[in-house]
Amino acid sequence: MFRATVSICGRTVVKRLISSVSGESALPSNLRLPSNLIGVPREKRPPPSGCEHPVLHRCEADIPAHLAPSQTWLHSLGSHDSEPLGVVDLHPDVFSVPVRLDILHAVEVWQRNFQRISHAKVKSRAEVSGGGRKPWKQKGSGRARHGSIRAPQWRGGGVSHGPRGPTSYYYMLPMKVRVQGLKIALTSKLAQDYLHIVDTLDIPTPDPNYLLDLIKHRQWGDSVLIVDVNEEFSENMLKATDNLKTVNVIPAIGLNVHSMLKHESLILTLETVKFLEKKLLWHDVRYTPLYPFKLPYSDLP
Amino acid sequence: MSVFGGLLRDALTFCQSSMLMCTRHFSTGSCARIRMHAIPKPKEVDRWTEKRSMFGVYDNIGILGDFRAHPKDLIKGPVWLKGFQGNELQRLIRKKQMVGDRMMTEDRHNLEKRIRFLYRRFNRYGKHR
Repeated sequence: MFRATVSICGRTVVKRLISSVSGESALPSNLRLPSNLIGVPREKRPPPSGCEHPVLHRCEADIPAHLAPSQTWLHSLGSHDSEPLGVVDLHPDVFSVPVRLDILHAVEVWQRNFQRISHAKVKSRAEVSGGGRKPWKQKGSGRARHGSIRAPQWRGGGVSHGPRGPTSYYYMLPMKVRVQGLKIALTSKLAQDYLHIVDTLDIPTPDPNYLLDLIKHRQWGDSVLIVDVNEEFSENMLKATDNLKTVNVIPAIGLNVHSMLKHESLILTLETVKFLEKKLLWHDVRYTPLYPFKLPYSDLP
Repeated sequence: MSVFGGLLRDALTFCQSSMLMCTRHFSTGSCARIRMHAIPKPKEVDRWTEKRSMFGVYDNIGILGDFRAHPKDLIKGPVWLKGFQGNELQRLIRKKQMVGDRMMTEDRHNLEKRIRFLYRRFNRYGKHR
């Protein structure tokens, strides 16, 4: 304890000495950006606060009294450089949950592994062709004793402890853990300014360059994931994103943590936000299932 | 005696220094050089192929899709391994139950031999039986 405090005091004293001697900014050396850095830093638009902006969408579910809804801008994709249309309320129990990185990691690892089936297989000594006969008699030939030419120590013999057959790595995380992983991913996207909400996905032209220009102008990042509730997207949007690798469109049912982490920024429509809030908040108030939810329940739709 | 020891020491040091002067401090051969043409190029991986960019989509089809489907329905692979994990004996028994009657004779025979061997190994030998 005493040694820790002494070291900390020593470090602060040294920092003060350095700043006083050098006379430059007080940032430590690992946080100072070099002056010849290429690339424009992302300009963060200040999050909406105050009552000047119209709130275009309030949360449908009840918000607990001790929490306040988080707010973001509502953009539109209609024109290249349009101002945000207004402000949108987001439910705090979906978009500002405490960020548990271990749950996020667990869900990401689950997504990578539960579908994995490895087809690696090698033949054991019983499966390699041949090798039924004893190659030479036990005693008298002067050579080492052997029972079959396909034993593991022989060249061309079977493998004793190799991979055996198609193996599956399937397992399931509890449903609430997967739901919490989704909520945490959405929260971190919002907190890091990578979540954008759009009213509809209608674009004026099916030109992919229009989308790329829009994304570059608004500084939305290198890769963009666009999510909509309905499975029928507008033709312009489908044609524009067809040949683009880093801009992808998925329906809301296909939202998952891996895609959110892979793409730099996430764009949701208003309908998607309502859908996600409804689906993810239900797990906080549901009863534990007596039989799988796949089978009909009288009170579930 | 001490003079003799000192003479010996002087001779030793003289020999050592002359030995040092005799060694070369540079190499004339090419074995010490780095061979640039033998270093392989790092393979270029495209991180945004269709498969990689769409990986994991529909994994939450149960939670977000009214529980009509389960993520284990998405798995592509042999029938006896969809939504199942087990050790080798369990996998082989399941394979025999589900697919055994349509297997070829040799494969079926090898499967049965392997099941017999693994049953005996797990249940009769070793510490865990």
